Amino acid sequence: MWKRLALIFLLLVGTSALLSPVIAPFSYSEQFRDSANAPPGGKFLLGTDDMGRDRLSRLLYATAVSAVLAPAAAALSVLLALLACAFPGLVVGGLTTICLSIPWIFLFIILRAELPLNTDPSISVLLTFALMGVAGWAGPARVFSGSIREMMESGWMLQARSAGIAGWRIGLVYAWPHLRSVALAQFRVLAPVYILAEASLGLLGLGVAEPMPSWGNLLRDLQHPDMVRQNPAILAPLLLLMLCLLAIEAVAVKTHEKEVFR
Amino acid sequence: MSRESLLSYTLTARYGDAVVLRGVSGTLARGEIAALVGLSGSGKSTMALALQRLLQYRGGVAEGSIVLEGTELMGLSGRGMRVVRGRRIGYVPQSPGLALNPKVRVRTLLQETWRAHEDRRMEPGFAENVLGRVQLPGDREFLDRHAGELSTGQGQRLLIALAILHGPSLLIADEPTSALDAITQAAVLRLFADLNRESGTAILFISHDLLSVAGIAHRVDILHEGTVVESGPPTKIFGEPEHPFTRALVEAMPRRP
Repeated sequence: MWKRLALIFLLLVGTSALLSPVIAPFSYSEQFRDSANAPPGGKFLLGTDDMGRDRLSRLLYATAVSAVLAPAAAALSVLLALLACAFPGLVVGGLTTICLSIPWIFLFIILRAELPLNTDPSISVLLTFALMGVAGWAGPARVFSGSIREMMESGWMLQARSAGIAGWRIGLVYAWPHLRSVALAQFRVLAPVYILAEASLGLLGLGVAEPMPSWGNLLRDLQHPDMVRQNPAILAPLLLLMLCLLAIEAVAVKTHEKEVFR
Repeated sequence: MSRESLLSYTLTARYGDAVVLRGVSGTLARGEIAALVGLSGSGKSTMALALQRLLQYRGGVAEGSIVLEGTELMGLSGRGMRVVRGRRIGYVPQSPGLALNPKVRVRTLLQETWRAHEDRRMEPGFAENVLGRVQLPGDREFLDRHAGELSTGQGQRLLIALAILHGPSLLIADEPTSALDAITQAAVLRLFADLNRESGTAILFISHDLLSVAGIAHRVDILHEGTVVESGPPTKIFGEPEHPFTRALVEAMPRRP
């Protein structure tokens, strides 16, 4: 029941995000200078921000950016980590150590500095999440190489070798069922982390660039408690973020249980 | 009884500085069942792995010579060795709980084992036939099961089925009955004897249990402290054991109350 509810909710959020150009009352960058910081109601269902932009429209577009790109970046990290594990354990160990010790925040600052000021916002969005996805491979790679090491010592690995089965088939057919649940868990950890990371980058002016909205830069308004008191609808992106994460978790956990107790 | 030689080996094996096999040598004729009996820790499993050149996956190093049907296995490349494993040497490991991948279906295990040495597809009915030879059901429900859902006895039979899939000339069985109850144990031993009689597969049967192997082996080798201290037909090992260790082993056997 919960799983179905969560699925329906996610579908609803997904379609409304994808349809945002159609269903959003306004464009995300359209400014209504006479009604900045308008309270919810009337023409603006969730009110407007300090620049007079409709909060509902911005939330819809932001969902399209964050709810799609952050999981995509998480998937990229997990995929890169899996690919890295095809290399010998020692190489992966060394590379992850180096990669984990790089202060990535500076790379984001450099990226932002190197991009021309007139770069299309959608390009900068893609680059931000792509960099996040690439930078994040080392964590999951650590976890994967740990479970691969365990598998290497397992009796079934030896049995498969004794049957003359080629290494890549062992990886694909024997090891993947074990790695799959690890990969899914990694994805579930990383997707919300990336949503929040983009929000933190946004605080430094490094995330998704204005005027394009993301959950991250919408959350920046939470810095002003007085504004939140005036218009509680500012909390909407936070609420949506939490509900989405809960829904994802509900779907993932139920699916996992099914797999374990089948 | 003189038969064509199938396998002859001389092996030294160590893990780091710890030497486990000290120049153990032996031969196996075509169609012969030889039992290698020793206490736990005497190097039996090391021997099973070293003969397939799998010891490096357990952190060990093996040196010496393994000649199978005229081919020196020690001289083969990794790829060359992969062709030997599963096709010319079948391996039945101990404890199916560990040696079978719990998340893989029976069907997939059979298919992958087949694919390892054959380009063409498995013929319909082949899987059922092989499973039938080890007294396992070949129906769809069983093939769809994950290995983790099998009983220990079924798992052990499946391991045997996987080992004989390509009709190897040599079967190495490492304590294949130690995880089984007495009745299943007897059935599996009978199965090995039948396989040997029907297809002439030579079997190197590795066990700590002298009594259980005595019934099916043509020859028993006693492994003690890394070397074979005594070798002979079961009647001689039981009747006139020479080496003190063999004598101790025979005397320690359970007797009827």
